[in-house]
Amino acid sequence: MEIKKLDTLPEKMIIPLRQHRGAVCEPLVKKGDRVLIGQKIGESAEYQSSAVHSSVCGEVIAIEEAPHPDGNKVMSVIIQPEDSNESVEFSACKDVKSDQLAQFIKESGIVEHYGMPTHAVLRPKGKKIDTVLINATSSEWIGGTFKTPGDYASQMIDALKLLMKAAGAKKGAIVLRTDDKESINAFEGIEVDNKKLKVSPLIGSRNVGYYFNEHNSDIVIVSQERIFGKKILNFFTYRVTGRNVNIGCSPTDVGVAVCGIKSAKALYDAVHEGVPFYDTVVSVEGVSNKMEYILVRIGTPFKDVIDSFGYTGAIGKIIANGVRTGVAQYTDQVPVTKGTTRITIQKPEEVIRDEAIECIHCARCVDVCPVELIPSRLAVMADQGRFDECRQIHIENCIECGDCAAVCPSKIPILQLIRYAKDAIEMAYEDLPEKESSNLKVGCGCG
Amino acid sequence: MTYTISAPPHKKTKFDFKTLNYSKIIALLPLCLAAIYFFGIPALGIIVVSVVSAVVTEFAIQGIFKQKVTITDGHAAMMGLMLALLIPPEAPLWIPAFAAFFSISVGKHVFGGIGSYIFNPVLVGWIFTRSAWSGYMTAASIPHIGQFSDLILEHGAGLMVGVSPILLIGGVYLIYKRYIDWRVPFSFFATMIILPQALLFISGVMDLVHKGSLNPLMYMSQMFALFSPSPELSYSMIGIVFFGILFMATDTATSPVTKKGRIIYGITCGVLVFIYGHFANYVDGVLYGIFLANCVASFIEINTMPASFGTMSCAENAYRRVMDKIPSSLKFEVINNE
Repeated sequence: MEIKKLDTLPEKMIIPLRQHRGAVCEPLVKKGDRVLIGQKIGESAEYQSSAVHSSVCGEVIAIEEAPHPDGNKVMSVIIQPEDSNESVEFSACKDVKSDQLAQFIKESGIVEHYGMPTHAVLRPKGKKIDTVLINATSSEWIGGTFKTPGDYASQMIDALKLLMKAAGAKKGAIVLRTDDKESINAFEGIEVDNKKLKVSPLIGSRNVGYYFNEHNSDIVIVSQERIFGKKILNFFTYRVTGRNVNIGCSPTDVGVAVCGIKSAKALYDAVHEGVPFYDTVVSVEGVSNKMEYILVRIGTPFKDVIDSFGYTGAIGKIIANGVRTGVAQYTDQVPVTKGTTRITIQKPEEVIRDEAIECIHCARCVDVCPVELIPSRLAVMADQGRFDECRQIHIENCIECGDCAAVCPSKIPILQLIRYAKDAIEMAYEDLPEKESSNLKVGCGCG
Repeated sequence: MTYTISAPPHKKTKFDFKTLNYSKIIALLPLCLAAIYFFGIPALGIIVVSVVSAVVTEFAIQGIFKQKVTITDGHAAMMGLMLALLIPPEAPLWIPAFAAFFSISVGKHVFGGIGSYIFNPVLVGWIFTRSAWSGYMTAASIPHIGQFSDLILEHGAGLMVGVSPILLIGGVYLIYKRYIDWRVPFSFFATMIILPQALLFISGVMDLVHKGSLNPLMYMSQMFALFSPSPELSYSMIGIVFFGILFMATDTATSPVTKKGRIIYGITCGVLVFIYGHFANYVDGVLYGIFLANCVASFIEINTMPASFGTMSCAENAYRRVMDKIPSSLKFEVINNE
């Protein structure tokens, strides 16, 4: 599959100093400085953070609060790019020691697509990781960054080994999607440590533990059905490894680190070429009849990405990270960050405008809910402010996948109501776990 | 340039309440045509009067109480149509008019409108008129049973709904399209098949007991009764039973929302209809049975709330307890952890 590369330089690059969950980086440059490609422009001493690098060569024109695709404003370095490919010297560092690899990952600015810095996933404080999973189910096939599917497969295996080394884990698995034939063919019969591997489906209780035994190998490749959602990691871990992750815990609590394709690829590049994480592939939906893929530098505003496809029609909605759980943007001057995977454009006539009517108890939401909740009941309770009763029917289990709201024939904003209740509960109870992420904070300076 | 912002999801299904109602009406149209062919113009009169009365009632109520008028969503029309199918074609036209008025006003709006009513409005209207003017509401004939051709065209049908069980296939298509849920119809129908067979078996055994038979093989042979169709089974194949299974019991607001609850609700419907049908008649039994099952629907719902995700059920717990005691060398099950 063809992949475009965004060659034109935008007027300005907006590089947020926080592209991960955790501490905001301190800027290392000041207004008027000239920066080079790959130069580190922000870092933080906190463990839970990740360095930020410049993706262009140019002059810093401001360091100020700028829109971020998650809906808030974040301190960002704004760079006026110049037409030059001058970069800092990249040096491959293939023989990093296991214990320094985590620090190396932090320095290279590698971040998971769900926001956690990769090193914090691999070496969480006070926890021991024994299994590393690469989740290749939600990322679309990112062909352009690899020359052939074979490259993709072999690099992923190498990256998995690196991740395992960084985490000090013994076992590793790559999880594909059952309907993604291209990737499955790429991985079928690949050799690891002189052993041919098969792509094995996850069925019933045959999880990775079973396949580790059956294939007698420390690395296995498995496939599973597609699952959606934002807080899906616990569910994913349960499906793949059979380990039950309690509500409020993360997969790292049961010794599992979940990484994405992008961070795996970024790590591979960082180790083999010394290149930090400053460009990423995003899929763009809605600009043409098919899904487009484009390699962009981090910090490029959405506007330039959309313009590069020659799209001139009216835009009703710009959505970052997919129509199911993504965030609608109020401006097109938001940058692509490390966490951006997809930009969706909806024409004004495609924007849905529904009027919610009463629940008709059709139970479609109950049928689609992956975590066995009664979303219709939760929505009613949340609407009436009966948050205690929401808790009694396990609202905290909700992974916010949005399936319930998508299938509702009464067009009730179930997901929004559930989030509202969750926020209220969070403020009232202190025994609840820390929240993973929030799209909008009440009273923020946006819009 | 301004953009719309809203909470996710940004893409939703096109399926809505209106589609659901109109698809149910369309699924019932073949049956209406067959009924008009069978009973002639009086049937058409009843259908038209019932539908118009239902829609006008809803329009008037929402107008008087200054609510948003929702007659275009097809819900009132669907209720009127379903009600018409349950009224004998010989009845005078004021019967469907009043029944539809009663359904929509008392059955639906008194309880709070769409999604809030606890009894199926069609049944409310039907039961009221059935009790008040039972002379008019008694069908002139009861369905013949036993012949296969009765499935295609029922010559003994007294109600419009009974003329052709096979034409209710539209309801099965709706299940296939997931417009209506499969759990209630499936468990309802299964119960309606199993109970007559079980009764046949039990009565066979009781006969032997009365005769004083001591041969255990005789009792064993009664097991075969389970596989030979009982005479009562053909009552499960009449039009009104199919109608009840596919359209009455699956009414969304009056059935539970939990997965387990819907299966239990279907079984409850089946048991009640069978008891009613066995001791009285199946034509009334279906409607009264479902009406009684509506009473317990919310009770079933609150008692079948699912546990927190990942909690092991009673059976799983017991299985775990047994399996944990068995040494692993004897186990055939997949080893979970390496």
